[in-house]
Amino acid sequence: MTSTSTSLVTRDTATLPGVAVSPSSATRPAPTSPARRWPTLAWGSLAIWVVLGLLIVAPVVSFLLLATSPRLFQQGSSYFTLRYVREALSGTTGRGLFDSLWVSVVAAVSSTGIATLVAWLVQRTNVYGRRVWGLLMWLLLLVPTWMMTLGWGDLLQPYGAASTVGLPVSWLYGEFFGPLGIVIVLTTAALPFAYFIVSAALRGLGSEFEDAARIHGAGRLRTVRTVLPILAPALWSAVAIGFAETMSDFGVAFTLGYHANFPMATYTLFAAISNFPANFSVAAVIAVLLIVATIPPIVLQSRATRRRSYAVLSGRTRTPRRREFGPMARVGVTVGLGAVFLVALGAPVLGAVVGSFVRNLGIYAPAGVHFTTASYAAILHPTIADKSIGAPLVLSNQLGIVVATATGVLAYVLGRRLGAGRGGWGQRVTDVFLLGTVAIPGVVLGVGYIFFYNLSAISSHLINLYQTLPLLMLALTANALPGQTRFMAGPLAQVQPSLAEAARVHGAGRWRTWRSAQLPLVARVLVWGWLLTFTKTIAELAISQVLYPPSHEPVSVTIQAYLGNYQLGTGTAMTVLTLLEMLAVIGVVLGLFRLLAPRGWRRIGWSGVRT
Amino acid sequence: MTATTVSASSVAVSGVRKQFGAKVALDDVTLDAGAGTFLVLLGPSGSGKTTLLRCLAGIERPSAGSIEIGGRVVAGPGAFVGPERRDLAMVFQDYALWPHLTVARNVAFPLARSTRGREGRAARVGDLLERVGIAHLADRYPNELSGGEQQRVALARALAADVGLILFDEPLSNLDADRREQLRVEIATLTRAAGVTAVYITHDQSEAFALADQIGVLNHGRLVQCGSPEEIYRQPASAFVARFTGLAGEFPAAAFEPDGPGLYRVTLSFAPDVPVRAHAVAPLAADDAAHLFVRSAGVVLHPVTSPEGVPGLVRDVAFTGRGYEHVVEVGAGAALTKVFAAQRHERGRAVRVSFSPDACFVMRDTESGEVPS
Repeated sequence: MTSTSTSLVTRDTATLPGVAVSPSSATRPAPTSPARRWPTLAWGSLAIWVVLGLLIVAPVVSFLLLATSPRLFQQGSSYFTLRYVREALSGTTGRGLFDSLWVSVVAAVSSTGIATLVAWLVQRTNVYGRRVWGLLMWLLLLVPTWMMTLGWGDLLQPYGAASTVGLPVSWLYGEFFGPLGIVIVLTTAALPFAYFIVSAALRGLGSEFEDAARIHGAGRLRTVRTVLPILAPALWSAVAIGFAETMSDFGVAFTLGYHANFPMATYTLFAAISNFPANFSVAAVIAVLLIVATIPPIVLQSRATRRRSYAVLSGRTRTPRRREFGPMARVGVTVGLGAVFLVALGAPVLGAVVGSFVRNLGIYAPAGVHFTTASYAAILHPTIADKSIGAPLVLSNQLGIVVATATGVLAYVLGRRLGAGRGGWGQRVTDVFLLGTVAIPGVVLGVGYIFFYNLSAISSHLINLYQTLPLLMLALTANALPGQTRFMAGPLAQVQPSLAEAARVHGAGRWRTWRSAQLPLVARVLVWGWLLTFTKTIAELAISQVLYPPSHEPVSVTIQAYLGNYQLGTGTAMTVLTLLEMLAVIGVVLGLFRLLAPRGWRRIGWSGVRT
Repeated sequence: MTATTVSASSVAVSGVRKQFGAKVALDDVTLDAGAGTFLVLLGPSGSGKTTLLRCLAGIERPSAGSIEIGGRVVAGPGAFVGPERRDLAMVFQDYALWPHLTVARNVAFPLARSTRGREGRAARVGDLLERVGIAHLADRYPNELSGGEQQRVALARALAADVGLILFDEPLSNLDADRREQLRVEIATLTRAAGVTAVYITHDQSEAFALADQIGVLNHGRLVQCGSPEEIYRQPASAFVARFTGLAGEFPAAAFEPDGPGLYRVTLSFAPDVPVRAHAVAPLAADDAAHLFVRSAGVVLHPVTSPEGVPGLVRDVAFTGRGYEHVVEVGAGAALTKVFAAQRHERGRAVRVSFSPDACFVMRDTESGEVPS
């Protein structure tokens, strides 16, 4: 869901950066499979909805019902009450909602603005290092917000990373631990989503629109004003998704927001069920409001783009020309772009990496600053009982492998159904459902799981998963599934049905058809989807914090425990190692793909450049 | 060349119906194509020709009726043979070349079901690529080829299968005019040389007449006529078939009367003194609202001084290389198009137009059909 990165792909954008799949043009509606019979279809749909029901619908809906009907689940005396709504809208929880709203608006708008500029520079100019900037956007996408917050904190705090190398920036620390820092981190976190959406639109926007404007007398400014509205759907999508992402973010709320005494909705929701006695009804009200808050941007997007056609992609679209900057301007623009990434990625990563080597990070050292590997050694010899990094990191990797694989399989099946053109109401319902569930914050899902699977009707009579690893796996899978499905649906829809039909007609059975005429076309998407879910699962905080079973802490929870215990160096070192491990896995998997995949497979789907 | 022995498969379609929800795509279609026949299914968009082809391929399952290929029932009540077990090949409209496979591997794909060894397969692929003239592109990937080259790969792949039936799904529709003509000839010669049965769909009547031994005309999911190209052209079974297979003009008959076996004398409102003799597809009743349908081959232009024909005015003229095609107005709002003459008649010039009875039909207009211009 929104805590996963994969919700960036919507139907509008259709292609994912880097994973557009095949030469394609849907010249006719996708045909039904030859062997599809109604009973098969019905059983398939039923199976899918049973899975979605158990994974998402039941936990979330039962939890949300508590907002006004606590007696339904023996959580109160009323079948209908607005008491918890009033409670949630007052005091700290009310302020949390307000804070989340305005911060999200600012972050969504500013990230879209910055991302549009960056996308234009990378896609449409001769700025240096265009591939590098694209790669850095992917990195930015993978780094969770709590890691960014930690990095910034390590960098700016008194006796932190910056001061150890002589940069007098500790005066910024106070400013950062407040709305300013929260907006900066959330804006940078939303930046990749907006960037990828706008980039996809820019790639499809041929230069003929600019040419037509210029030929008919428009100057540079008027040309921009004329062409920019063509990007309106992408810009609105970027704002809507950026808003949903920031509204549902838990990492910043749990770390920066909490320490800065700046309550945000996802944290107050978490607090409502963490405090004693837990108040699920207030948490449910906050959850409902978090979900409802994502509706207006989507409606605004829909209204703004209604009745106007923005279909700009066609076989006649010309490859856009790049704006050629002169030597000085080119260097200047490249430096400016570098500055954006320095703030977005460089500062927090440098802060974390340098901070992890500072002895007694954040503590005054009369004898001067010393660099040391003690924090890394402490990981192996834990200073908090039973909290070495080894077991949590192994556990997180296991979770990542299981969740990414399960999500990949389910998302492939669902994505195929969404991508099939001739869908009935069942397909449309699935489509709308998955679009809606993308906006459910991870913390809402986590709390929903706690509530639903702890109901005596479930735990005593059906299945007792409460406080077990399988429940955590299920929740993480449910969390990743909607976004991952939408991630895959676009590329899967691009694979022409005739390619599989041609294989069948020319003698290939179902298995050979899938292996030889389908898998090669979607392999890259599957690999990237797997990597995205894997890395996001390793660093996932909201659900992990809510659902981890005793003595089975994922690494993100262990790191928070160290940070909460003011052992910043150890926590930071763990964070750096986790990040390095994520990057290593990405490198190994992509390397293996490059080594093992046949040459033809690797030709498919790299932003459509070679296809 | 590698010698291949292929026995052509006959095709028998009986009462086939196909529904997508409430929409009927095919309605009680029955037709037969003997072994070795080149059958062209002709019809406008939405006529059901693609659906029929997909039913033959096994990509769609008929809702009712049966299909036999080579005497074997491949679809029918309680029977359905998957596409991979029908022993056929297909050239797709969008070519459907696998982008991750080279040209050679695309062509070799169907050979997995052949008994040839590795060397035999390679020889077969090389032979086919030679035949379609792209042997030098064997190691290229599809996206590195032009549209015409891609089409040749698709054709070679279909021929590689050594099957008795090849299906063609509007294979020339994505090509420019020159390439269409060139590839049309190649498809005709290579398919016939292979000795297979072919079922080819198109909405282009000139393509159909050029390729077919037999043409089936489809409209609104129904087979409205099936016969040789000559039969279809000379004896269209309905106004729709007449319109869809190319007319110079169509005029409501002001009056008509029998004029011999199968012939009528038709009076047109704009030339009441010059009746036109025309064939009747079916006998007409006296109160029928009849129309005169005129093929361009039956229209002759004369100087205005000629005593023959009806008066007309040249509205447009186009040079076609071997002569000129004219648009001639013969009455208020009534015009004849594609009127050929070896000599040019300038725009605005008065002429006279006569009609040959062989190319004129009179029939009730009880159908309406979308006819592409």
